[in-house]
Amino acid sequence: MNGLVVRGKTARTVLWVLLAVVTVLYGFPFVYLLLTSFKTPLETIAVPATVFGSEFTLENYATALGREGVIASFINSTVTAVLSTAISLVLAVPAAYAITRYRTPSGQVFILVALVCRMVPAIVVGVPLVSLFRDLGIADTSLALAIAHATLSLPLSIWLMTSFFDAVPDELDEAAKIDGCSRLGALRRVVLPVVSGGVAVTAIFAFLASWNEFLFSLLLTSVRAQTTPIVIANFQTQFGLDWGSMTALAAVYSIPVVLLTLVLQRHIVAGLTLGAVKG
Amino acid sequence: MMLPAVAFLAVFVGWPLVQFVRDSFYAIEPFGGDREFIGLANYSAALASDAFTGAAWRTLVYTVIVVALEFTLGLAVALLFSALGDRSRVFRTIFMYPLMIAPVVAGLLWRFLLIDNFGILNELLRRVGILQSTDQIQWLSNPDIALFSVALPDIWLTTSFITLILFAGLQNVPEELLEAARIDGANYPTILFRIILPLLRPVIAVALIIRGIDAARAFDIILIQTNGGPQGSTETLSLLVYRTLVRFGDPGLASAMGTMYLMGMLLVAVVAVYAIWRPGSDRS
Repeated sequence: MNGLVVRGKTARTVLWVLLAVVTVLYGFPFVYLLLTSFKTPLETIAVPATVFGSEFTLENYATALGREGVIASFINSTVTAVLSTAISLVLAVPAAYAITRYRTPSGQVFILVALVCRMVPAIVVGVPLVSLFRDLGIADTSLALAIAHATLSLPLSIWLMTSFFDAVPDELDEAAKIDGCSRLGALRRVVLPVVSGGVAVTAIFAFLASWNEFLFSLLLTSVRAQTTPIVIANFQTQFGLDWGSMTALAAVYSIPVVLLTLVLQRHIVAGLTLGAVKG
Repeated sequence: MMLPAVAFLAVFVGWPLVQFVRDSFYAIEPFGGDREFIGLANYSAALASDAFTGAAWRTLVYTVIVVALEFTLGLAVALLFSALGDRSRVFRTIFMYPLMIAPVVAGLLWRFLLIDNFGILNELLRRVGILQSTDQIQWLSNPDIALFSVALPDIWLTTSFITLILFAGLQNVPEELLEAARIDGANYPTILFRIILPLLRPVIAVALIIRGIDAARAFDIILIQTNGGPQGSTETLSLLVYRTLVRFGDPGLASAMGTMYLMGMLLVAVVAVYAIWRPGSDRS
């Protein structure tokens, strides 16, 4: 237990109340989004605004999901995020493994360079990427977008995987080698199963980075590969301000990842804090 | 085994970056592609334009607002969680859900919360008696406060990131140190500022740098709320570069702006690493 824990009974009661208030305030925006999505379209823009609707309807959901391209954009978002996660992991796992096992200066330099890559704004590389993907013949495809998204998630993936591999003692690899495994064999058969939790965390972050990304999607897709964030943004210009169906679409897009968070909470906390706390 | 990752980043980040920087030395006809080398003329044009200097200033203000508020709130909540110990776990879980929400959704949601007449925030403020009418504060249409308002969803989305990282760091503060300080009669603020925060410096540095970079790159969250308006009061560098490139079709000028933008971020990040983190000096 930690020395920061407050023990006085009155003090603890006050702190619990404070925490409850903070949680309600912090949770309110999303709860309000959900409540609004079940109101009638007229009620969503009623003055004065109310927290709870007077009747429960799925009308907004029907409108939002019935619009052209919405379902297709969900498929595109999923395909792009899965592809991008796969690319990111396939590249990050061996790179991170090499960095922790060979400990060459070039490995350390590469970690730094990867972090600098993370700083580059999407707008800077986005436009040259448009012509690069056109030259490669994959313009406006989920693959192209997945590659672009992987440039965002790869640095973080390498960083995370390096921390996870660091926690595995070298002796394990040595033992595997004595038993006749090659370096790659040791990685695949012995080390990877040990860090499978870490791989899962890294995968979640790569998936989320792609699922929620906007600017690359805006620049690199037009019709065929368009993802849902772009569709959500387009709702306001194309159809006027239809807040009802916009909240419904936003809810449908957010609920899977919010549920994912709750289910995998422990792993996500581990991933978020690992790199940072190790400094 | 590093090679595939190196090659990937070289082709899809390095090479585009080189092209982008090279473009900044050319005058480029929109859509035609006629290019002429003009040296640093794009840079002087950018530096001389109010749009660029204004956007650079707004990016800085936006980043400072986001990071300062996030850090203060994030630290307060992390201390709250620590004070309550293990039983606060359920709340920690609830607290992190905004991290998973897309910035474009967050921006849209907050625009809906803050909107003048039928926005719930002003309505709730009116009900508790702080406001007389629901259009008294025009969060997103008053140019004087819009830059602050567009920062709210960003703060909402990622305060939990700071909280989680600081909370994890707080768990590693040695108990003996806190006990010793208490026996010496130190009060809570003294312990916080003289012991806890200095010990957490590396963790704080990482959290602030990561968030600072992300806030400085914010794009969709602002685009969806105000599109840079009203009267350009929320046009940050990422929006300006986008507009210059895509709307005005001036890749040369946009590249010069983007290059300076990137250099500025790198510079601030390096300074931040040395100023807060001080690798090698007093790391615990």
